[in-house]
Amino acid sequence: MECAVEARGLVKVYPGGVRAVDGVSFCIRRGEIFSLLGPNGAGKTTTVKMLATLLRPTSGDAYIMGRSVVRERGEVRRLIGLAPQDLTSDDEMSGWDNVYIQARLYGYPPGEARERARWALEYMGLLDVAGRKAATYSGGMRRRLEIAMSIVHRPSVLFLDEPTLGLDVQSRRHLWGLIRSLRREGVTILLTTHYMEEAEALSDRVAIIDHGRIIAEGAPAELVARLGGDRVHIVMGSPGEAERLAGELAARGWRARAAGREVVVTVENAAEALPRLAPLVRGAREIRVSRPNLEEVFLELTGRSLREGEEALDSFRYRVLARRIRR
Amino acid sequence: MLDETLVLTWREVRKWLGRRGVLVSSLVTPLVWIALFGKSFNLQALLQPPPGSLPPGSEQLVRAMQEALRRRILELFGTTDYFTFMASGMLVVFSVFQGMFSGVSVIFDKRLGYMERLLSTPTPRPAIFLSRVLATLFRVTVLDTLLLAAALAMGMHLREGVTPIDLLAAWAYVLLLAAALSAGYATLSFYAEHQEVLFAASNLINLPLMFSSNALFPLKQMPDWLQAIAKANPVTHAASLVRHHLIGAPIDNYTLSLAYLTALTAALLLAGLYLSIRWMENR
Ligand SMILES: Nc1ncnc2c1ncn2[C@@H]1O[C@H](COP(=O)(O)OP(=O)(O)O)[C@@H](O)[C@H]1O
Ligand SMILES: [Mg+2]
Repeated sequence: MECAVEARGLVKVYPGGVRAVDGVSFCIRRGEIFSLLGPNGAGKTTTVKMLATLLRPTSGDAYIMGRSVVRERGEVRRLIGLAPQDLTSDDEMSGWDNVYIQARLYGYPPGEARERARWALEYMGLLDVAGRKAATYSGGMRRRLEIAMSIVHRPSVLFLDEPTLGLDVQSRRHLWGLIRSLRREGVTILLTTHYMEEAEALSDRVAIIDHGRIIAEGAPAELVARLGGDRVHIVMGSPGEAERLAGELAARGWRARAAGREVVVTVENAAEALPRLAPLVRGAREIRVSRPNLEEVFLELTGRSLREGEEALDSFRYRVLARRIRR
Repeated sequence: MLDETLVLTWREVRKWLGRRGVLVSSLVTPLVWIALFGKSFNLQALLQPPPGSLPPGSEQLVRAMQEALRRRILELFGTTDYFTFMASGMLVVFSVFQGMFSGVSVIFDKRLGYMERLLSTPTPRPAIFLSRVLATLFRVTVLDTLLLAAALAMGMHLREGVTPIDLLAAWAYVLLLAAALSAGYATLSFYAEHQEVLFAASNLINLPLMFSSNALFPLKQMPDWLQAIAKANPVTHAASLVRHHLIGAPIDNYTLSLAYLTALTAALLLAGLYLSIRWMENR
């Protein structure tokens, strides 16, 4: 099997001793969307920066279409496109100038660069507003401009670091559509996100990353299936009652645990289990069935929620982001 | 590499010109300085004895004294008009002050993430450094030309028989000094995290550079220790060269000044290239 991106034991220790990435390996197949899903500070950005030749790995190596990010940096840079986590376009310049400059930096002479810029802006639905300063763009348009700047040279591999950070649901879905369409063009995409729905909606495969290590990897459905089917949530009157019920069910061989006033029972298939389960439960206020998602996979693996530490962004960058997204 | 350097320079220039009122706000300070400072010190007036204060029959002696004083002033300032002296010095000082903006651009690109985008492209690394220096040279050329035009309108005198070659030479020396400073500030900015470091450095460097040079006052009337410092100060050499060409002031050693300035600029550019590339490729 051929990997478009192959990471082999990537480690990054920042000066000062933070071990941000701690032995990460994976293989992204050609033409797939691969997501790194993890909470803030998990090491997603650091991983992407090593793959994009911005940081030298402390140890390990990675290969982009077979080229080493340590030893063949120039070749790698020609193969990749990067949309960094921050909004990097110049808001003092027009969308057109931003994309055109990018095309020139990839070595296109002026005429071709104009064609490339026109194509990228059109692809991202920004041609109509290309003459306007980026400062006047909405948050969704700014994010699309970021991607337009990164695809102007038709990269084989595209890195999207939190491409929908700070966007409302509608703009996010619009962007998802564009990302899928890029994959149909044959671009291999590595996406990082801490939005579980995003990883689930877009990726062919997901690697869940926490504290610089990959703790699970596979197709979203596969990961969820590993959790073992459905969840029955039984809401009781009090935490005490929930504890007691969980104990009784566990004694009868059910996979049950109490969480506050709720008892969560893991079953293969809720439709089959409910008729057997219901007679054992007395005093329930509410019974719900849920299909687990990646959020729960993460919770199960780490005992923490994906959204913890949401405020960990550098405060300056956060303010800039907030200011730029506001419109 | 030249192509990418010019594209990135164009980016800086384009942003600069796109800022409304940028010319006015850049020129206000130096204009106010030459107007207030340059016009307030009237050398000619020193030569005029107060009316009625001379004993009869002393005209001859007075005229001789006046002539001696005039020659002394000419020897010190290279002109008898302080405004002309000061304005030509400010052209040089102004290029020193502009150097910092190369650093500002580096810091903001780093903080806003543009630097990362840039570094992920195959752009030759020297272009990333050199474009900052070139952009400052462009700004200095525009601003100094406007400043010179304003100074001429306010009564600055160019030397008799000044040629276009003189103007080109003067601009070349202004730019040589500007390149040295902008290379220094750009380099510092790759390693500095915050713009405050840059502002602190420029406060520490710019004003002392100006006052320990012959930009505002001639060397020869300074105490010896200050003269020694001033002679090592690149601003002195640039100002001497510029004055030589623009207002015809005598210069001690043309070749030495030129060599000193060229060597310093080359050293700072080379060090800047080396250090900035090291920062870009070894993180
Ligand atoms: N330049 C840096 N110097 C030191 N530590 C850093 C630096 N950048 C990130 N870190 C730390 O490395 C860890 C991983 O960060 P990052 O890769 O940005 O995570 P993510 O993108 O998943 O939010 C965090 O603990 C973060 O604080
Ligand atoms: Mg990140």
